[in-house]
Amino acid sequence: MKNFFEKLARIDRRIIYLIVFISVTIPLLTRKGFKFEPLQEVKNAYDFIEKLPEGSAVMISIDYDAASMPELQPLLEVVLTHLFRNNLKIIMLGHWPLGLPLGQIALEKIAKEMNKKYGEDYVFLGYRPGVAAVILNMGKEIRGVFNSDYRGKPLDSIPLMKNIHNYNDIALLIGFEAGATGDYWVQFGQARFGLKIIITSTAVVTPDMYPYYQAGQIIGLIGGLRGAADYEILVNKKGFAYAGMTAQTVIHIIIIALILLGNIGYFALRRLR
Amino acid sequence: MKKEIPLIITFISGLLLVVALFIPHEPFGSLQERFNDWYIIVSGFTLILGVDSLLLYHYRKIKRKEKDAPYSAILIFSFVTVLIWGIYSGIKHGNPFAPTSTFLRYFYTYIFVPLGATMFALLSFFIASAAYRAFRARTFNATLLLISAGLVMLGRVPKGEETIPYFIGITLILIALIFALEGIQRVNPYEKALFFVLSILSLGVIFPSSILLKKYLPFIADWVMNIPQLGAKRGIFIGISLGAIAMSIRIILGIERTYLK
Repeated sequence: MKNFFEKLARIDRRIIYLIVFISVTIPLLTRKGFKFEPLQEVKNAYDFIEKLPEGSAVMISIDYDAASMPELQPLLEVVLTHLFRNNLKIIMLGHWPLGLPLGQIALEKIAKEMNKKYGEDYVFLGYRPGVAAVILNMGKEIRGVFNSDYRGKPLDSIPLMKNIHNYNDIALLIGFEAGATGDYWVQFGQARFGLKIIITSTAVVTPDMYPYYQAGQIIGLIGGLRGAADYEILVNKKGFAYAGMTAQTVIHIIIIALILLGNIGYFALRRLR
Repeated sequence: MKKEIPLIITFISGLLLVVALFIPHEPFGSLQERFNDWYIIVSGFTLILGVDSLLLYHYRKIKRKEKDAPYSAILIFSFVTVLIWGIYSGIKHGNPFAPTSTFLRYFYTYIFVPLGATMFALLSFFIASAAYRAFRARTFNATLLLISAGLVMLGRVPKGEETIPYFIGITLILIALIFALEGIQRVNPYEKALFFVLSILSLGVIFPSSILLKKYLPFIADWVMNIPQLGAKRGIFIGISLGAIAMSIRIILGIERTYLK
């Protein structure tokens, strides 16, 4: 009996890895989704974008890289689809230089799908170092930081940017966050200039964003794969995130089952000793 | 003077930025902008410093023929290759990061992105293994953490409320078993009776608690996220901010000088 509980308390990590691998792979391959109700914080984000007048400028900040790509890239594509569908103008920039090409790839892809023109419907500014200083200076004049787009074309020669000078001309900022840059957007963009912000973040970063959401400093919060799946439901474009939620459900159940097994082994062994 | 000049610069620039926050009018308003421009320029140069330090560190490793020297050689080789390719793409396409450039297509899409994603994906294996090993209900606090983590994990995924009755059932049966075993060992008849009552009570709450959790799990998960989690988070944030303010004052006044080393 003791032997059995010892085995239960010390399952080989390779077996756990195998269980995790199988339980993630099968749902992702089968791509079968469950029905669920979107979270309120995601609905708020969706509703705000829905209510924006056509032609409003929306700034997107790419603050993640390849490591967070599975969580944020599907969402970025859905958000871009939603923005273009509502005829909103997109200005993309970012504070993570290694993640910016991901944003650019998604922007080019969705723009092509939706027949949108560079310079008229969307613009890609690129990267400038300095995070907080960049956010602060853009609040006064975007040209003070970005005098040209990523190709070196002066902003004044781009039709979309002609009348856009600072945050007063930006209807919304959507930050795709995998680190602390979201804090800077709230602390320097919202608090100093009243910039309207929606944060989309990895599941790890999401709890850090809740204080801003509860305080009303951000309009909506789209957290992790769940947030992305919720948004896919709202936009009616079910994709990777929606299918990924099945894998997440399975893995959460398995982790809890493993914790339970570990505790059974632990308590039984303690009693037997 | 080697130390005094940086201290004076820090004092003046720190003080001016604080004043500019409260008096956004001229000359302070534009001064703050100018400081920010300088900050952007300096942070650009810190990237060069980082690259220099990284390459030097790995070069030394190769020179000393250390155990991990082959990895260092791969790093330097990759760095040089990517740099050359980036310059080439920059000349050909006007931008090293252009989606049409070969650099982005091969190095970024097929090497960097999969490597980055793999590093992050490995976390799921480690987290599952670590949760199984470390999440033990050793103390009251650990048990509370365990319960709330379980509720949030199941409450935030679809179909979580349908699986929770099973977990609750198993857990409460185990708790009942522990109480019963404890009761058998007791000599005092009152204590024995107490443990048996607790055991029966544990079994008795399985059904109502399962029903309740099945119905209210998403609300409970939201409550955990919005009340206790946020309370703790706010406390941590306030603590961090106070610490940052204290450190900033120490740096401005020249008490903290470690950055000069």
